[in-house]
Amino acid sequence: MSQIHSNLHRSPWADWWEGTRRTDIWWTLAWFDVVLRYRRSMLGPLWLTLSMGAMIGGMGPLYSSLFGTELSKFFPHLALGIIFWGFFSSVVTESCNAFVGSSNYLKQGYFPISLFVWRSIARNLIQFAHQIVLYIPVALWAGISLSWSAMLVIPAMAIAIVNAHALGLLLGLICTRFRDVTQIVNSVMQMLMFLTPVFWLPESLPDRAQYILWNPFAQMLDLLRTPLMGGVATVHSWLGIIGWTALALIGSAILFSRYRRRVVYWL
Amino acid sequence: MASISLKNVAVNFPIYGAGAASLKKTLAASVTGGRFGKETGVTVVQALSDINLELKSGDRLGLIGHNGAGKSTLLRTLAGVYEPSAGEFKREGTVSSLIDPSLGIEPDATGIENIMLRGLVMGLSKKEIDARIPEICEFSGLGQYVNMPVRTYSTGMMMRLAFSISTSVEADILLMDEWLSVGDADFTEKAEKRMREVVSKSGILVLASHSPALIAKECNMVVKLSHGRLEAAEISQIVDATELDDRP
Repeated sequence: MSQIHSNLHRSPWADWWEGTRRTDIWWTLAWFDVVLRYRRSMLGPLWLTLSMGAMIGGMGPLYSSLFGTELSKFFPHLALGIIFWGFFSSVVTESCNAFVGSSNYLKQGYFPISLFVWRSIARNLIQFAHQIVLYIPVALWAGISLSWSAMLVIPAMAIAIVNAHALGLLLGLICTRFRDVTQIVNSVMQMLMFLTPVFWLPESLPDRAQYILWNPFAQMLDLLRTPLMGGVATVHSWLGIIGWTALALIGSAILFSRYRRRVVYWL
Repeated sequence: MASISLKNVAVNFPIYGAGAASLKKTLAASVTGGRFGKETGVTVVQALSDINLELKSGDRLGLIGHNGAGKSTLLRTLAGVYEPSAGEFKREGTVSSLIDPSLGIEPDATGIENIMLRGLVMGLSKKEIDARIPEICEFSGLGQYVNMPVRTYSTGMMMRLAFSISTSVEADILLMDEWLSVGDADFTEKAEKRMREVVSKSGILVLASHSPALIAKECNMVVKLSHGRLEAAEISQIVDATELDDRP
């Protein structure tokens, strides 16, 4: 696809920016995605909050007694773990569907495909916002005191979004071409949920299993969760995630610059 | 000034259906050095080949051809959906495409919300859309239905809505697949008038249709697509042909 056949052709960078700068389009599309999904229910998107609340409330006491940890220490850990994991896993699995799910637009005109990855991320951010509010009562109940280091959650979230975008382009392209990959990604994410300290405490991991913490989701979770619990994420997590981010960016840049105009042929 | 130029344009579709897209087969083929390569041999459909076409402002081109001849693919290529696999494609001017009226319509959203969504996707800002909403609603003639979810609409009503939105934006090039006929007589007349207005502003119209009468009425030139290739045709010819067909 190196040969350029059309004066509509844009450079990869210009193409990416074209899709990124139209925030009004992708926010509105994402907002409608959420609103329309709950249009015919009475509580609407509040269901996101309620069902997450039920899950945390149900699992907290059980798992804290299973692991023999104090509830006031364990409950905030579990609440943030489940909320963030829900965000990670839906970002990853839905990015497989970013282009297939937007084919009605892609088949209508010339669209920069990054737009639809942003749509998928924005949709997940809206859902996440409905769920993270649950942490406020949990933190108050557990008496968590936050210091200035909690501000580190902001750069961590920015890195999470960069990764979500890179993975979205990467998986979006691969899954459109090879439809089996969507299934693979789904089952890998299910497995990773147990390999990531979502429920269990990383301190309880024996030395020989420490390698599990190299999993990018464990590192990202550390960066996001620890500051909100009054701690500081490990340097190991920061370094690790920078490496993973670089990999994701390189991979997505290669695929994006080669196949971004090819994707419509695969729909 | 609007212009379209295609030189030796080809569009080839790889068809990955029926298991050919499976990762397993591609991997197996690459690991075994292509011994099972035949299994992954992707069927390639030549949807368009050797298309040469020059259009300038004021041209109203009718596209005819049997089902599957490549009319919609050509319209989509002109819209910029498919980047040609070979050849050269140049286009100047903004495009409004009405290829499939139901594309990009959210069935659970109301008419007004769909105007907003489609308007944004067509590149308007929210402000511009707000300013146009009354006019679009008026033109569509849907009355109070614009506040109802689109899933409650009939096909004709949906087409009215889509047409009203798409033509409310001033575009230099109008691409249409045949669906004017879905509306009732009143609306068809209104729509044809609107279409002529758009084209008369030094624009280009490309209209794919099975109806020679419609093409004779709306277009000043015509080409025939046959198995993905263009054949020259004359408007007088196609009209004569139908008149013969109509004879008892």
